[in-house]
Amino acid sequence: MSRFLVERDGETRVRLSEGMELTKSRTILAAVGLVVLFLVPDITRFTGLSFTAIHRGILFGLAAVGLNLILRHTELVSFGHAAFFGVGAYGAAVLASYFDVSSGLVLLLGGVVAATTIAVLIGYFVAGYLDIYFALLTLAFNQVLYAFVLQSSYFNSSDGLSVRPDGLNPPTLFGFQWTTSGYDLILYYFTIVVLVVSLLVMWKLVNSPFGRALDAIGQNRTRARFVGIPVEKYVWIAFVISGIYGGLAGGLFALLQLHVSPDPTLYAFVSGEILFMAILGGFGTLVGPVVGGIVLVYLLIQAPFYVEYYNALTGLLLIAVVLFLPEGILGSVPKIGAELARRRRDPGMLREDVATIGTSLRRAATRAATTVRIIVFGVN
Amino acid sequence: MTTGPTAGAESGGIDRRTLLKTVGGSALAIALAGCTELLEGEQESLENADVPDEPIESGLQTFTEGAPAVLGVQARYGAETAVRRINENGGIAGRNMNLDVVEEGGAHLTNYQQFVDEGKDVTFGPISSSGHAEMVPEIEAQEVINVSTDGTVTTLYEEDFPDVTYSFRFQNHDVMEALAAVMQAVEVLGADSIDTYAGINPGYAFGQDEMDLFSKGIEQVAGAEELHSGFPDLGTDDMSTHITEINSEQPDIVFSSCWGGDATLLLEQGHANGMFDSIELLVGPVLYGSANDMSEDLVDGPIYSGSRNFYWGEPSTDRWSPAADLVDEVQSEYGVVPTAHFMSGYGAVTAWATAAEKAVQLLGRWPEQDELATVLENHGFFTPAGYHTMGADHQGYSNAHFGELTWSDEYDAAALADVNVFSAESVSPPPGEVSADWIGNW
Amino acid sequence: MLEHVLNGLYYGSILFMIASGMTIIFGVLGILNLAHGELYALGAFCAFTVVGFFAGQVASPTGPVTAVLFGLVVLAGSLAAAAVLLPVGGALEATFIRPIYDRNEVYQLLLTYGLLLVLTDVMKVVWGPSPIDVGVYSGINAIPTTELVGVSYPSYNVLVILIGVAVFAWLVWFFDRTKTGRIVRATAIDREMSTAIGVSTDRMFTLVFAIGAFFAGFGGAMVSIGPSPASLGMGLDWLVLSFVVIVIGGLGSLKGAFVGALLVGVSSRVVTPYYPELELAVPFLLMVLVLLIKPEGIYGTWGEIQ
Repeated sequence: MSRFLVERDGETRVRLSEGMELTKSRTILAAVGLVVLFLVPDITRFTGLSFTAIHRGILFGLAAVGLNLILRHTELVSFGHAAFFGVGAYGAAVLASYFDVSSGLVLLLGGVVAATTIAVLIGYFVAGYLDIYFALLTLAFNQVLYAFVLQSSYFNSSDGLSVRPDGLNPPTLFGFQWTTSGYDLILYYFTIVVLVVSLLVMWKLVNSPFGRALDAIGQNRTRARFVGIPVEKYVWIAFVISGIYGGLAGGLFALLQLHVSPDPTLYAFVSGEILFMAILGGFGTLVGPVVGGIVLVYLLIQAPFYVEYYNALTGLLLIAVVLFLPEGILGSVPKIGAELARRRRDPGMLREDVATIGTSLRRAATRAATTVRIIVFGVN
Repeated sequence: MTTGPTAGAESGGIDRRTLLKTVGGSALAIALAGCTELLEGEQESLENADVPDEPIESGLQTFTEGAPAVLGVQARYGAETAVRRINENGGIAGRNMNLDVVEEGGAHLTNYQQFVDEGKDVTFGPISSSGHAEMVPEIEAQEVINVSTDGTVTTLYEEDFPDVTYSFRFQNHDVMEALAAVMQAVEVLGADSIDTYAGINPGYAFGQDEMDLFSKGIEQVAGAEELHSGFPDLGTDDMSTHITEINSEQPDIVFSSCWGGDATLLLEQGHANGMFDSIELLVGPVLYGSANDMSEDLVDGPIYSGSRNFYWGEPSTDRWSPAADLVDEVQSEYGVVPTAHFMSGYGAVTAWATAAEKAVQLLGRWPEQDELATVLENHGFFTPAGYHTMGADHQGYSNAHFGELTWSDEYDAAALADVNVFSAESVSPPPGEVSADWIGNW
Repeated sequence: MLEHVLNGLYYGSILFMIASGMTIIFGVLGILNLAHGELYALGAFCAFTVVGFFAGQVASPTGPVTAVLFGLVVLAGSLAAAAVLLPVGGALEATFIRPIYDRNEVYQLLLTYGLLLVLTDVMKVVWGPSPIDVGVYSGINAIPTTELVGVSYPSYNVLVILIGVAVFAWLVWFFDRTKTGRIVRATAIDREMSTAIGVSTDRMFTLVFAIGAFFAGFGGAMVSIGPSPASLGMGLDWLVLSFVVIVIGGLGSLKGAFVGALLVGVSSRVVTPYYPELELAVPFLLMVLVLLIKPEGIYGTWGEIQ
């Protein structure tokens, strides 16, 4: 066994560092995913796929990774994550518009600091709340922030701010003023690096004692409190970390769009979308939210170019995922793989599948008939 | 400013022969001006030109559904009508034109990028001003010409991007329509009898800008005092609070830049609450954009509306056949009367198409993007609305129309009466001056 | 000031009609229905067709008597339009929502969001992309109401307020006095116990979802016979505002939804003339305030209708 390979539970695992180990198949998946991500600019050049839509999807996915920390581990549904995404974007935009900061990295840092501040503030108020109250309180803070920016002339109300320090050119990256296509490419690779580092940090975090404590809080707050976990404080910290991810994504979004306005960054429905990305991709997984982000953003942006009823297309896809992929897209991959393998071994199962579908259709018809009867005759 | 003949008065009497001479006899320019007869023997330079065979690909982003579709669908009809006329008249230097339309809502930048990725020769739109502001630098970077239909925030070309190459805007900007509203109010009531005013404007940048500009203008001209200024949410379902407030304050004038469903809502609730008994005058630069959604009882009262750079009945359709033909075509094709936003789409396409043909005549081949952009600067052209110029600042300049809201039995739709035509230079600053400063010395 | 309060009551009444359906569905089914705003929009579009047809059968009002008759016809049409939502709501619940009651609640959010998107396009197919107005608003205002006491105020607003109160009264009666209503409440309080005594929770849930959809649709019909047109996307803002209302009132509480809706309506309408820049933010500030002081809402109950 070399440094990078360890034997555990009868399986060879790839060891990245202390406590971070992957099974072989997952290592291969991760490697393939990484290679694909790095090849995206080339793939999109030769196919009809949209480079910017994918880039944008990755950014929203990054925000969803942050949201997933509190969703997956403390079981809190945040309906206000756009607050951090938006503040991260506006933080960068304000530095560029009013303080002539031209370095992209400084702008990004400004966005993250702004988002962190807001997360600390909002987190202080919401950390003690549970379930739907937590969800709706985060939504309320989000909307207050949105209404404030929309009314404020400092933020140029609904028209928003440009992220071009000199008025026309994008910020510098790593000290250079790039051409447009060069800028997009550099920013993309930078995004990938940020994404990978963020994912590794998140992995480390959720597998740390702190992460375990969050799991305990999610399962049962009272019990967590009894074993000595400072529940509110930990939730607060987790909330701030998730906000930092949101701010990081928002800051990068500002660098990509080079213009920040309230509706695409701060509105409550953006919060909803970030949440849906996490669920869509599989909120029980680490990387699922990124997949969900890419898929949902791509649909929302690109579908109008191909179909007239693009809302229905997106909606039906989401419904299909909920009904047929119970763990989200990425979360269901192992299950689907296992089921497929079983069918390969035993083709007779296919016949059972057909029978199952028939039964459920019949049941749906009966249900519909009962429904109509209830509505017409009431319940007695 | 190279405004050319101020079409309002002069082109009212223009006949087709004079027009043909003015526009230089290009078949396409004449067709887009709304004249169907062609001159013979003027096409040689185009026939010999080295022009590719494949059709021109173009894209338009506009609001295709929901509340803002009141404006967006008109812009779409306008652009489609212009493209149809181009293709029926042999295309641009022989090239036919295809138009793809996509919903602009929230994705302006990616829409434009997608159009460029698809290899579009030119793009049009959007309606939204924040969307337009977001797009301008990207247009400059991608170097594919975009002629904005609206996106009318004044400061865009004046202050934010004073030196652009590929980005143009056809429709009049906000200062022009807010000041036209001031002039209209003064003309109806007289500066001396305007002491107070109030505003109900949609709660976003456009509404706030328009109210600000109107305030500056009316205070400058009439020394009027503001009594109430409300900004209901864009696309709201209820403005009764602001109407109640106006009823109790009783200002002389109410200014409203509400559009789409907000415009009809204002008129509906205004009538129901007796607002038009408490005020002398309602002026609204874009009320007429909702013409096709207004019923006869709504237009009753001292209501004056702007119609940006086009009103279909001005010059009157019995004297100006291009306008009459256009109204007939739009009525039979779409069953609506065209509004100023129809012209936003029509004019944006026309500006680019006539400039493209001019460029082919000059170069003897199809122009590159930068060559075409150069020709578009200071380019003058006709539409059924009259004469327009694309200024050196890339802002379109046309006459501003304002008239009393009334009802047309002939078209069974809202119409404007006693239309005032304000020349571009009377409601916008001379080149190089910033509107906000200029209004101060108005 | 009186008129501002009346404006607030009018706005609050519409808000209540929409939020009542949402709070019932949440209280009994435990579902936060994101498609609720689209059910409201669907009611508005149905009203365009149904009320338009009904109103076309009678002459436009010329005097007080014909105006009252006209008003009754429009009201009947609105109820008929909202009735379309009963089978639609029932079918949506039975087909899409029933399979996921046992799953993690976040999937309900994703599913109802998917329904929101699909419903939008269904309306786009049926009624087209542009806003449409049924055009009976001025006819309703011809009904003499406030003139009788010497005030000038739109009769439509007065009617909406009265209807809002009537809806509240009916719901209270239904859940307090009728057998079906009591069974629903029993189911909400203890699902297992109700099943044990022979109640079919499936049917109860379908019924409750259909009722919730009905009132969302009725709210939509009330808006579209008013000064606003029906348009795609009209449900989004109301959806978010409904959240605010049911949180302020207490989740699942009918009384809370009523008080919360009127509170949001009146406070936003009274504050706006003095602080116009707060118009958008008032409901949310109110919500933050209530949640921080009394997190369970004014009539805080959980999962049961009171």
